[in-house]
Amino acid sequence: MARFWPRAYLIFVFILLYAPIFYLMFYSFNSGGTMSSFEGFTLDWYKELFADTRLLIIVLNTVVIALFSAAVSTIIGVLGALAIIYARKRIYQNALISLNNVLIVSPDVIIGASFLILFTIIGVKLGFASVLLAHIAFSVPIVVIMVLPKLEEMSSTLIDAARDLGASRLDILTKVILPYITPGIFAGFFMALTYSLDDFAVTFFVTGNGFTTLSVEIYSLARRGISLNVNALSTLLFLFTIFLVIGYYFIQKRNEKSAVGVRK
Amino acid sequence: MKKLMQALIAVLLVAFGLLYAVDHLNASSGQTAGNTLTVYNWGDYIDAELIDRFEEETGIKVIYETFDSNEAMMTKIEQGGTTYDVAVPSEYMIEKMREQDLLYPIDHSRLPNLMYIDERFMDLPFDPGNRYSIPYFWGTVGILYNTDKVKSEITAWNDLWKPEFRNDILMIDGAREVIGMGLNSLGYSLNDTNEKHLQEAKAKLDTLTPNIKAIVGDEIRMLMENDEAAIGLVWSGTASELMWKKDNLEYVVPEEGSNLWFDNMVIPKTAKNIEAAYSFINFMLDPEVAAQNTEYVGYSTPNKKALELMPEDIVKDERFYPSADMTARLEVYENLGPEMLAHYNELFLKFKMHRK
Repeated sequence: MARFWPRAYLIFVFILLYAPIFYLMFYSFNSGGTMSSFEGFTLDWYKELFADTRLLIIVLNTVVIALFSAAVSTIIGVLGALAIIYARKRIYQNALISLNNVLIVSPDVIIGASFLILFTIIGVKLGFASVLLAHIAFSVPIVVIMVLPKLEEMSSTLIDAARDLGASRLDILTKVILPYITPGIFAGFFMALTYSLDDFAVTFFVTGNGFTTLSVEIYSLARRGISLNVNALSTLLFLFTIFLVIGYYFIQKRNEKSAVGVRK
Repeated sequence: MKKLMQALIAVLLVAFGLLYAVDHLNASSGQTAGNTLTVYNWGDYIDAELIDRFEEETGIKVIYETFDSNEAMMTKIEQGGTTYDVAVPSEYMIEKMREQDLLYPIDHSRLPNLMYIDERFMDLPFDPGNRYSIPYFWGTVGILYNTDKVKSEITAWNDLWKPEFRNDILMIDGAREVIGMGLNSLGYSLNDTNEKHLQEAKAKLDTLTPNIKAIVGDEIRMLMENDEAAIGLVWSGTASELMWKKDNLEYVVPEEGSNLWFDNMVIPKTAKNIEAAYSFINFMLDPEVAAQNTEYVGYSTPNKKALELMPEDIVKDERFYPSADMTARLEVYENLGPEMLAHYNELFLKFKMHRK
């Protein structure tokens, strides 16, 4: 009995979190056309979805932006985290970390609006480039935050040992530090990826000239009530995410086994 | 390190692969650089088939972008960095954009199809002589009610004050709409600036509060659709859309008079392809095109000739095409100036805070 309540509570919380998603997925099979009553099973919305090239292009654009911005911001973020950790004075370090955190907590709307102003002043045409730049910019602090703890937990004796054994500075970086913080880098990459995929506020300001991402498009569609092919699309994206998470889990599982010994 | 490099290369490969796919899709849908036209319109406010047809007829590639509020559209255009050739703002926004010099004047001689537009909808106070804008759709503000819940017939604003509607009315969260309704119910103009009349209207609205369930924004659609309230104050566009989905809803333009609104096509200063913008506007004014578009969107068309081509039951529907007699009592919002607008907002705020 003592175990019953915690478990029931856990189940309750998960139902609460997942119910809206499943509700939405359920209605993507509704032939009725609205979310108010379920009339019958149909796959029409999925057919319509794949026939709609415009929406498909938007989905692909969203993914492309997410991949590029996550990759670039991971590189910048890792370098940033290294710079922070090897800052000479403690006070600089704290200042840099705080500045980084400010970017994470500051409202998206303000970041988006300032990007819009910046881009128009320096003459960047709104579109793919502006969205990509904005996404990279807001993802970097997140990567830094994900990588920093790994760097902090790394013992400095590792580096001393490497240096003793004659490793150059580049060797130390590529053969000691980076392998050690790899899990942090991956975590940062995936965080950046999800942030970019679901960002609305910043993207809203910097899209234009025919380029748009999924969240902005769905928001515009909502003015006349969301058609059920958006449900169908969300269902596919949700399944895709689940698939990614499972895949990531297995990759990690495999790595844990092989990573017991010394890394190359 | 090796693992990281592999991962990076994999990510880049996938990304470039997708980019190629996008390119391929763009090409297959005929999207190439060169003769393009960027249209900036409300979400789902055009029949997509018509865009295809326009592309086929003219060889101009249309980039169609959507916005969800006049303010959002204005920001994008004001900031520059965009190349919208045609946009579709509402009337008060046209006035604002005109004042800020964001619009190109429109040369009527380049729009032969303009003659099909009903003269009632031309030369209105927000754009005298239609120098900057061409009517796209129009509509009214009125009462949407649920016939399952409302047994008596509603014909006027004053019907809303009946005690039987206690806690059953949804209002739009808009100062002009609500204060305008108060003024209309007293028989005043909804552009009234007489302080005494305004105070009277506010006092009258205060007595309506026991009947008001909520003051909401776009959620009103969902709430009415789910039978959450008996009565809603809505724009006719919202009404026609909901009535198409549900049989138990009915719309009425109150007999005391109401607001007449417009969404018009304009050529903003961001336009790059003005030639194409003119041919697009002219295309949309074509009676046959306008008729098809109207049947798809469900709003009221200002195109006189298009009405002749449309099914009788739509055109004869007085709820959406009010009789001349009724139209005479409809008014367009005039720009009252920032001070008066602030006063309206303040009255509306006080009304919202009024205790039941």
